[in-house]
Amino acid sequence: MKTEDEVKYVEIVYRGIFQKRLAKYIAEGIVYTAREMGKPALSFGRYGDSPERNGVPAKYYVGIGNGIGEEDLIGYSTRVEPDLVDVIVVLDDTLLKGVESWAWQGVQPINLKLKANGTMIVTSTKRMDELVKMVPKKDFEWTFGVIKTEPSFSGLWAFKDDLTMEKVWGAIAKLRPDIIDIDHLVKYVSKKQSSDKRISAVKEAFSSVDYRTIRKGEGIDFIYNPPRLLTWQEMLEGTVVPAVPRGKRNEQFKRGTTKFERPTVDFDTCIKCKLCWIYCPDECFDETPDGYYDIAYDYCVGCGICAEVCPVKDCIVMVDESMFTDYRRPYEMWKENKVKYKEWLKEVRNARKERVYVPGLGR
Amino acid sequence: MTETRKIIEREVLMNGTQAVANAAMYADVDVVAAYPIRPYTEVMDTISKLIADGELDAEFIVAEGEHGQFETVKHASLVGARTLVGSSGVGWLYAMEAIVVTATDRAPVVAIIGNRALDDPGAYGVEHNDAMMVRDVGWLLAWVDTAQEAFDTTLIAYRVGEDPRVLVPVGISMDGGFLTHSEQIVRLPPKELVKDFLPPYNRGKYLVHPDNPITVAPQVNEDWVMEIRRQHDEAVERARGVIVEAYESFKKVFGRYPGSTSEIEMPENPFVEPFMIDDAEIVLIGMGTVSKPMKVAIKKMRNQGYKVGMLRIRWFRPFPTQDVIKYLSQAKVVCVIDRDYSIGSPNRGGVIYHEIRSSLYDLDQRPKVLNFIGGLGGREITIQDVEKIIKIGYEHRDTPITKPVYWVGVRGDPW
Ligand code: SF4
Ligand code: SF4
Repeated sequence: MKTEDEVKYVEIVYRGIFQKRLAKYIAEGIVYTAREMGKPALSFGRYGDSPERNGVPAKYYVGIGNGIGEEDLIGYSTRVEPDLVDVIVVLDDTLLKGVESWAWQGVQPINLKLKANGTMIVTSTKRMDELVKMVPKKDFEWTFGVIKTEPSFSGLWAFKDDLTMEKVWGAIAKLRPDIIDIDHLVKYVSKKQSSDKRISAVKEAFSSVDYRTIRKGEGIDFIYNPPRLLTWQEMLEGTVVPAVPRGKRNEQFKRGTTKFERPTVDFDTCIKCKLCWIYCPDECFDETPDGYYDIAYDYCVGCGICAEVCPVKDCIVMVDESMFTDYRRPYEMWKENKVKYKEWLKEVRNARKERVYVPGLGR
Repeated sequence: MTETRKIIEREVLMNGTQAVANAAMYADVDVVAAYPIRPYTEVMDTISKLIADGELDAEFIVAEGEHGQFETVKHASLVGARTLVGSSGVGWLYAMEAIVVTATDRAPVVAIIGNRALDDPGAYGVEHNDAMMVRDVGWLLAWVDTAQEAFDTTLIAYRVGEDPRVLVPVGISMDGGFLTHSEQIVRLPPKELVKDFLPPYNRGKYLVHPDNPITVAPQVNEDWVMEIRRQHDEAVERARGVIVEAYESFKKVFGRYPGSTSEIEMPENPFVEPFMIDDAEIVLIGMGTVSKPMKVAIKKMRNQGYKVGMLRIRWFRPFPTQDVIKYLSQAKVVCVIDRDYSIGSPNRGGVIYHEIRSSLYDLDQRPKVLNFIGGLGGREITIQDVEKIIKIGYEHRDTPITKPVYWVGVRGDPW
């Protein structure tokens, strides 16, 4: 038997810190339910950047033994991350644009590790057809599931008990009964905390999860080139790397997938004071020839500091990341058609914010 | 073999840090000093939650840094409090002055070391050099490889460290990430049984108290130091017997051998875990979670006819010299996997490698010893890596060693 048949893995992709507890609890429920089904199971949390930092994409894994014992399961799972996973759960639809959870590995497609015929499930209020436009293509068939719900964001360290956990479990039971089945799941949930609303959330998700097969080659092109890391002979000594040349940025460590909101700029009202340029901790602003400040969105972590410091009311406004499908720069769009830009700005700024309110994030 | 009782245990999913915190709650610790650093941090997170939930009544002191953190428990321990403390990587090193004196003053503090690299930015993955920094200064040191063993060993640490024959601090190491951040099913015994295993902490004549006027650590100059060290060395040696007693008593009270789960049987030896070792020509040595991929690889290679086994070191101080001799003297090649390094050392090998070679030196017939340095800074040592190690060991059964030390999976060297 090949390793990948002996253990089935579920990968839960979440945003630190807001969803850290949620991811852990989802993993825990899968472990206990799988064990109810008589299979050994365990879970592990992994991350590159700290999941205590706002918005950082991080991962939780569940490993379930398939005909092997507990100890072998631990042996296979003493890893940074599994090579391939059977199910991917995405707890925020903006993560579909890719994640950069490991420093120096670059921005990876969300379904990088999906096994052939695997399943990816996302929580979103968007329609299936809108979401399909965001997923990278694979050279095999797979199943895409959508749980219609707002992405569950809690505040710092807290856990928002909004039944997302139960919904995710129910959706997995529907699409992947080989991982956890509905009978054992209901049994586990009733045992854990006998409450009708929890059990009905499970059942509701089980019967209502929207899903469809994604054909081989369907989806967007997402070119991921894993970096070639240097050998010990090639590296500079003493933990030294060459500085990024002036005017350039580090191609391998962008951090833009950390954001769930991005700053939008109204260039018509900008007074060219430069404060955004000075204060942005990630140096995302570029001065344009006519003295405005353009944003490199793929490097922006969405911290909101620029919106806080900008002295002009409504000049920089943070907007929900789900409003955007790409990292196109704002200045270019504004230059192209200022009237259209203004209309577009109004539209995206009026859109509802789906994610948690955190003080100091520029709103 | 001691007789076992039938005991109903609760099975709960928890990671290594949560297991330790729960064991400290079972041990009813009095003082916990905390300062955050990954990957140990969840120990203090869990303790503070247990206190907030009313499950543990203890002083929870958040220090201003690791030095103050370890000073706090040292003093608390000397006035009779059962204490829990812990850190990782350079946090542990920042407290080193207090840590060393904790041992000299014979305060049986229990410290959890979530092993972490020293301290390349952002590398919070496992490496054993942090804990190794105290290997020479009179701490007892254990390495655990499952959450269950973390729980059980924490209870044992209090019993051994606080024993009047010992009175020495105990450090329990667990691999950052692979154990601190990995949840497994842990068997929790009924809490009321703990009193049968763990007596109250009683320093006797060494208690700092108004009714027992003593001074700890007066000026000693050159006049006393040799004697202090000699006593300390003797106490750590006495700990051997106390450790054996503790494991036997644990089994009697809780009905299973420390480290055993419902699915993993732990051989009855506190100091080492032998695995498929009886007829093994090649024996792998390791500490911590590397044992798990090692076991999978050993089983696979056994199926292909390789006579290979494993010896996992559970207690590193006191070092299990006699067990090492007993289990290794019949082997042809010993492959030591070090998740640590000792730069500039003999043969440029790792720390455990040197300890093993030294333990075997006096034998008339001794196995060859190869060293594999790997898994540093949290890098994986995979099942495939271990298979490769076994093959290299096999090749050396009848050929002399020309290259004693290999680096596992370092970019730029052949592997
Ligand atoms: S939100 Fe503003 S300040 Fe923060 S990283 Fe993005 S551009 Fe920079
Ligand atoms: S802070 Fe606001 S007003 Fe000042 S330059 Fe930046 S966008 Fe313009």
